[in-house]
Amino acid sequence: MRLVRLLVLAAVLVLAGAAPAAAHNVSAGAELRIAQTIAGTELTVVVKGTSRVPGPLRIGIVAYQPVAGLPVALEVRSAEDGRTVTGRATAARDPRYTELRVERTGPHVLTLRAGGESAVVPFRVLVERGSTAEFWIYGGFFVAGLLLVGGLLTGALSRPGPAMAVAGGAAAGVTVAAMVIVFEPMVPPGPPDGAAPVVTALRGGGRPFVQERARTVPARPVAGEEFTLRLDLVDGSTGRPADDLTVHDEALAHLIVTSEDGRYFRHVHPLRTAPGRLEVRLRADRPGRYLAHTELEREDSGTQLLAASFEVGGTSARDTGAGTPNADTRIPDADTGTPNADTGIPDAGAGTPDAGGGASAAGAPRLQPAAPVAGRPATIELDAVGPVRPWLGMTGHLIVRSLDGSFLGHVHEMSSPGPRLRFTFSFPEPGRYLAWTQYALADRVVTVPFTVEVAAQEGSR
Amino acid sequence: MKKPLIALALVAAAVVIFIVGRGMTAEPLRATVAGSSYTAAVVIDRPATGRIRVEIDMLSGEPDTVAVSAVMTGMGHATPELPARRTGPGRFTAEGELFPMPGTWEVSLRMTGPAGEESLVVNALVTG
Repeated sequence: MRLVRLLVLAAVLVLAGAAPAAAHNVSAGAELRIAQTIAGTELTVVVKGTSRVPGPLRIGIVAYQPVAGLPVALEVRSAEDGRTVTGRATAARDPRYTELRVERTGPHVLTLRAGGESAVVPFRVLVERGSTAEFWIYGGFFVAGLLLVGGLLTGALSRPGPAMAVAGGAAAGVTVAAMVIVFEPMVPPGPPDGAAPVVTALRGGGRPFVQERARTVPARPVAGEEFTLRLDLVDGSTGRPADDLTVHDEALAHLIVTSEDGRYFRHVHPLRTAPGRLEVRLRADRPGRYLAHTELEREDSGTQLLAASFEVGGTSARDTGAGTPNADTRIPDADTGTPNADTGIPDAGAGTPDAGGGASAAGAPRLQPAAPVAGRPATIELDAVGPVRPWLGMTGHLIVRSLDGSFLGHVHEMSSPGPRLRFTFSFPEPGRYLAWTQYALADRVVTVPFTVEVAAQEGSR
Repeated sequence: MKKPLIALALVAAAVVIFIVGRGMTAEPLRATVAGSSYTAAVVIDRPATGRIRVEIDMLSGEPDTVAVSAVMTGMGHATPELPARRTGPGRFTAEGELFPMPGTWEVSLRMTGPAGEESLVVNALVTG
């Protein structure tokens, strides 16, 4: 009878003791960073994961361009029970995080509103489940410890039978704990609470391609006036909206908009306004044909590049009264190192110093070799004009476009030490390429436009 | 003396059988999904290939029609819509073949009504 009571007591203590052990086996979910072009500026929304539900969800808005305390309204809605919490954040270089409360794990929807625009970003709140292995390890040792003490006591009271039984129980506890310690690393961990169900055997195959329907609202935008570029993404295999974009280089989609002549350049991050729909507000400064290259990635797939074009009417907003449109603008050559003051700086209207004054010689790109050869690696180096901070997960970005727009490359900086940015790229064919490097300083994103002349390989001329 | 040990062994065996058995059977799908106009509870008792039944309980919003379809996003498969019939106030049932093959499916509930049209999506893990 006494043995049974001892076992029951041990079981109760194990259960009572295991609960806190499981509860502080916490894992803060990974941080979500999404770049958004909203209210005419570049922001990155940071959602810090929570280690428990109900629990705090901290959201901050990082500004990459000068904004004077731009308020952003936040709304987080559970896609399972519809429970909604709202808050307000202010975009800043080092933002203060707004704390919202989430009640459950699983799919949620974050709605951002700023400057008359809104973005709807779906995300999942994940919380690591308590490990059952830990329960068995701690439980096994706990039972063993209790039974060893009981065994010693019963042995001391000279009852060899019960003492043996209790010591046997202790051995069993140690065995269970030891077995779990040995075999637990071999067992794959379960998905965190709130994760979408997946079949592991079928993963890794990649998803079908995406088709893009691009149009402007209004249908015929006018130079100098704001318009919306709307991208409808369609799954090429089912014809349904493709709404499974994953965050790639800290954005759902990277949209490069260039005028056909390359004098207008924007690298923006459109807002998801509905399932499969991305929208961004733009203002073109000259009439003509524009190219829109969208870089995005579906879940369980690689990145893909979608190309579209649209027309802008009206007359040039900038060159009125300055003779023939665009006659006085010229894209600089990498060798001359005189970046064009008229292009390249995102949102030049925001008054970034580079827009007017031109970059110093320190900001001019250098080519290695000086005359790049098609199909061979070429290195482009330039010195940043100030301390660089990471933007879109990288120190720097280089966009290259063939003159006709049929080719677009996106190169990442190679983490060079100091203020030097270094890119290596093999231009696929000889000819002239338009190029733009981008990096973030403390208060703005700097864009340096230049061109690269690529020669043909010896013998293939 | 032997009895408690035998009882302990039996309990241990039962726990092992429970854990193993639970992992092998298809779990019924029970989910709630909230859109901006409608919120529904969805039950699929046997999420498997072949003929199945999808039960939809409206928690908020009053759609006139509900149509159920499925998409396997990983493979790019889509199924035709199964129209759901109204079985009571705020209750709809759709019957038919929804999942042609096992895998991860998105079940899409397209609702139309005075509040407008909206598609609610729940994830389903379909076994054989």
